[in-house]
Amino acid sequence: MALLIKNGIVYDPLNNINGEVMDIMIDGNKIVSSINESKAQVIDASNKIVMAGGVDLHSHIVGPKVNSGRILRVEDHYKDLVAKTRFTRSGSGYSIPSTFVTGYRYAIMGYTTVCEPANPPLKMIAVHDELNDIPMIDKTSFILFGNNWIVMEYLKEGKIKECAAFIAWVLKRMKGYVIKIVDPGCEEEWKWGNDIEGLDKEVNNFGITPKEIIRGLCEVNKLLSLPHPIHVHTNMLGTPGNYRITIETMDCVKNIANNNQPLIHMTHVQFHSYGGSNWASLSSATDEIADYVNKNKHVTIDMGQIIFTDTTTMTADGSFEYKLQKLTGERWVNSDVEVEESAGIVPIHYRRNNYVHAVMWAIGLELALLVNDPWRVFMTTDHPNGGPFTYYPKVISWLMSKKARERVLKRIPRMSRRRTNLEDIDREYNFYEIAIITRAGIAKILGLKNKGHLAPGADADIAIYDFNPKQYDPSRDYKEVVRAFSKAAYTIKDGEIVVKDGEIIKPVIGKTFWVESEISRDLESSIASSLNEKFRDYYTVSVDNYVVPKDYLYKPWPIQVKAKI
Amino acid sequence: MAEIILTLKHSLKVPLDASIISPDNFAGKSINEISSLKLWRGNKQITLGEVFDIKGEAGSNANETVITINGDLSKARRIGKGMSNGKIVINGSAGLYLGEDIRGGVITVNGDVGSWAGVGAKGGLIEIMGNAGDFLASSYRGARSGMEGGMIIVHGNAANEVGGWMKNGTIKIMGNAGIFVGANMQGGSILVSNDCGVRAGAGMRGGRIVILGYIPSILPSFRIEEIRASVKVNGDKISGPFYLFNGDFAEGGKGNLFINVTKNPHLKRYEQYIP
Amino acid sequence: MVIYENVLCSVCGCLCDDIEVTVEENKIVKVRNACAMGTTKLLNYYKERNTKPLIKKDGKLIPTNLDEATSKVAEILVNAEYPLIYGWSLCSSEAIKVGIELAEEVGGVIDNQASVCHGPGIQALHNSGLPTCTLGEVKHRADLIIYWGCNPEDAHPRHLTRYTLSPKSKFIKDPKERKLVVIDVRNTITAKKANLFINIEQGADFELISALRAALKFEEIEEERVAGLAVEQIEEFAEMLRSCKFGVIFFGQGLTQSLGKSKNIEAAIALVKDLNDYTKFALIPIRGHYNVAGANEVTAWQTGFPFAVDFSKGYPWYNPGETTAVDILRRGESDAALIVGSDPLAHFPKEAADHLAKNPLAVIDPDISVTALAADVVIPSAFTGIEVSGTAYRMDRVGLLMKKVVDPPEGVLSDEEILRIILKKVRILKGVA
Repeated sequence: MALLIKNGIVYDPLNNINGEVMDIMIDGNKIVSSINESKAQVIDASNKIVMAGGVDLHSHIVGPKVNSGRILRVEDHYKDLVAKTRFTRSGSGYSIPSTFVTGYRYAIMGYTTVCEPANPPLKMIAVHDELNDIPMIDKTSFILFGNNWIVMEYLKEGKIKECAAFIAWVLKRMKGYVIKIVDPGCEEEWKWGNDIEGLDKEVNNFGITPKEIIRGLCEVNKLLSLPHPIHVHTNMLGTPGNYRITIETMDCVKNIANNNQPLIHMTHVQFHSYGGSNWASLSSATDEIADYVNKNKHVTIDMGQIIFTDTTTMTADGSFEYKLQKLTGERWVNSDVEVEESAGIVPIHYRRNNYVHAVMWAIGLELALLVNDPWRVFMTTDHPNGGPFTYYPKVISWLMSKKARERVLKRIPRMSRRRTNLEDIDREYNFYEIAIITRAGIAKILGLKNKGHLAPGADADIAIYDFNPKQYDPSRDYKEVVRAFSKAAYTIKDGEIVVKDGEIIKPVIGKTFWVESEISRDLESSIASSLNEKFRDYYTVSVDNYVVPKDYLYKPWPIQVKAKI
Repeated sequence: MAEIILTLKHSLKVPLDASIISPDNFAGKSINEISSLKLWRGNKQITLGEVFDIKGEAGSNANETVITINGDLSKARRIGKGMSNGKIVINGSAGLYLGEDIRGGVITVNGDVGSWAGVGAKGGLIEIMGNAGDFLASSYRGARSGMEGGMIIVHGNAANEVGGWMKNGTIKIMGNAGIFVGANMQGGSILVSNDCGVRAGAGMRGGRIVILGYIPSILPSFRIEEIRASVKVNGDKISGPFYLFNGDFAEGGKGNLFINVTKNPHLKRYEQYIP
Repeated sequence: MVIYENVLCSVCGCLCDDIEVTVEENKIVKVRNACAMGTTKLLNYYKERNTKPLIKKDGKLIPTNLDEATSKVAEILVNAEYPLIYGWSLCSSEAIKVGIELAEEVGGVIDNQASVCHGPGIQALHNSGLPTCTLGEVKHRADLIIYWGCNPEDAHPRHLTRYTLSPKSKFIKDPKERKLVVIDVRNTITAKKANLFINIEQGADFELISALRAALKFEEIEEERVAGLAVEQIEEFAEMLRSCKFGVIFFGQGLTQSLGKSKNIEAAIALVKDLNDYTKFALIPIRGHYNVAGANEVTAWQTGFPFAVDFSKGYPWYNPGETTAVDILRRGESDAALIVGSDPLAHFPKEAADHLAKNPLAVIDPDISVTALAADVVIPSAFTGIEVSGTAYRMDRVGLLMKKVVDPPEGVLSDEEILRIILKKVRILKGVA
């Protein structure tokens, strides 16, 4: 069916459209350059903002770790129960919403694509089983490789091509999109209850350093021509003074880069930008981080903004969660996965009057405000680690309005203000930049050519927000920004109106996409045959049963690329 | 004081969510308005008037309103939820979550109550003339936060896990209590006037538990401190003598367990450990 | 003749995935690698089986067709104000999903067998968390393996050889480096294999854990004996726990269903947390049926709650003790039930079973169970993992795809297909189709 969005105020940065009043035309599930207007359904978007559907780069929405979090935090669900409606399934919400509710809440905010950022390959049946149950949005999964024995062994032996072939095999077989690296090497140590500090100490039993793992996987990523750079949660997350290791991580792959192309994405950098040497001396080191990012084009980052609320931390960084529960006395889930990874979960309540939490809050915003190029910094809360994704409108308002930030700054501890730079930053994002850090830039860094923009040929995934820039000034009327971005006037998914006035009016099933990097047949078959024995020795499942068949996915969507091997 | 009388029309077959029944919700409403208040019976939404004969009148404020309920309400849940003032008298038994989140006022039950009575209590008085079920004034699953204030009196027996995660207030069991009295308790006082099951105070980090009757054993993660002549519960002095144990040392050991010496001769061996 | 390799075994929570099955003319004739339980099921599952839907008329179950039977189930559910839908641990996750949707549509309570076996372990998780790992972590690292209140040599026969005591390990070169400890009230066949058998007094698990936690913190235990054991023995055991490189506790119903239930598991979790300050330690529930873990997983991601979910008010609500099947039945609060792949009349306490039998009752099951014999309508289903494929979750929550190796008898559908038909008919009756 044809759809005509008339007279919207369009922000489409990938096509250099900055607030022009124009029409967007849709035929079927694509944006087109012309339609038969007499047969089209018309949406009057005058005095409303039109953007491509939101794209979330990093949000823990499914997987065994997320589901453990749901089971852990029943009391969190009790305060946010969601009844069935004519169009929607029931569920529960707050920091770790049930699958249906997750899909609905994203769609209501005008989001249409979400990346689940940390899954161990052994548990991909669970991941896809859950992703199938997330309605409304397109989704994908990032696969953890930074502590994988087979990866570490190939890299140790210098077998970079074999390592690449193995990773291509896993991504294709288990249906993942990105090489995710979490606390490289250290999680293998944590599985013994140990810790290693720094990037240059060898991992016990494997004779390889975290730095060598990061560099090796960065080379692999290039060899496989993967659409997204390596996605790195680097070592020493959440530790005062960790900004040095963050810079060291970014710098260690610098000489692999060419043509200034991004080849490392550093995720939830808020948790990695800490100065000081202990919690009492914690300070913001965003000057140093932003300076490095501004000078080095091989790096992109996302914020990992925190929100003052009760939420749940969950990460493949099991050793961090162990330390966090020791610090807070909270409940603790740890889950180590054979051969591959670890994971941990600890609830947390970020409080405005807590000095440490307030510094963390300021750091996230500083990162977005001090990195000059919005194409290289993206908005996330590392849901639910920094706070639930449902707070994105609030984060947008803080970025667009110094006044909104000051309102919070006034109410955080004086010492937190002193140890951060936020008070002195005047920059305010405009809608064009917001469109970059919430969709256009993210689609670009994900290599999703049909997402994040509104030119003919793009997927007809569109958000329309009821905010009139002629009437309101986002800097002054930041509450209007929060209102408009919380409930999209319309969300259009694959050419269908699925949300109207902030309500789901049509449930749909989104695609699940993954990457298939085509490598030479010889290499592929030699790797596949060598894995039988490794699996017998290493895993508790046979290689035959280590698979997610394509038809297991409700709406499978492979993305093919050509490898250099 | 104005009184409103609810009499159950037919016996209940499926659960009735009676959280609407509270002086706060009835105050200032006419009989008709009260009759047409909506509530859930199983998966059907019905009106209060379909379940109860309703007579009398409500006061203009909660504190001037007495609600009397007649009938077997053991399948009716959450009676008096969140009430801040006034009075509820139940002539019969009540079901789960009686007086959930009570902040003030009085609930009297001339019968037994189901589990989770007084869960989330922050004030007020709940008096149960019969027996109470499990988890009396305890925490919701995962919330690790029990009773915060007020008083709960059970004239009969209470089942397991009385006052789990309790933070403040007073619970008095005039009969026997089951196992895990005051488990994970953080503050407040629990008095058991008669016998008590094992594992009293398991995981407690604060507060006091006073047991006047027999207790089969004390957990190995408790330590005896001394013998006390008397103890105070909510200002009332109770004569002993009592063994005073500290614990639970698995969780820091800041709680106090007072055990009647004369009723527990089998605990005499602990006296050798008194410092 | 076809030989299927790496078939999953649909008996216990081990979910062994290396079974070789030989099929001749749609009949399994040979089974390799499976334990006695698995072999017996695969070779004999179809014997003494009913393949026709049954409906009660004049007090007798008589054969009917699928259409009439499913209509009857839909009618029973739609007419109820508080229907209970129970079972699921012997179903695929795909079937469980439809079951949840059905429960939501009819405003009922959906519960699974965790409610009567490992539910207390899950409730403990709400209050305490859970340090755990997959079975492969145990295979490679564990030098101290503890079975507490479970007897895997009997109930999970390949657990020791495949996952814990004798599998090939990257780090443990000699199986003798592994120590096996069994804590039980009986000297079981697993206990007989142990390096250390701790013969604990009935119902004193919590006391033992409290003593161990105190001993780990070097607190003096002011007792001579705890849980039937000398305090010195407990202190030695605490030292054994503290000094291993990687320890794991597998716990069974001996811990989850003995005096204290979820509090026992909370204590065990606290003990394992404490131990992680000294070494690496994990806790794994040893789950019974092959997909009882899956029933918890699917229910949790769709509703936020792992079992015992009450949809009567349109949204999910959960509170074991309130919304669990046995408790609802004991209080006499349900007015109809659908049982899927379970036999509660044979296993529930009498007063609960009596209430179940008293009200309209429907059963979907491949076998004729005691519950089926008392039902108003019975629909036979295919055996998942043999006659139909589907997803199941191992005790450590690793999801695996069960294969189909033979066709079901003509006219016999999968649980999932039957439930879809019922759901459709429910929606027609409610006028929301």
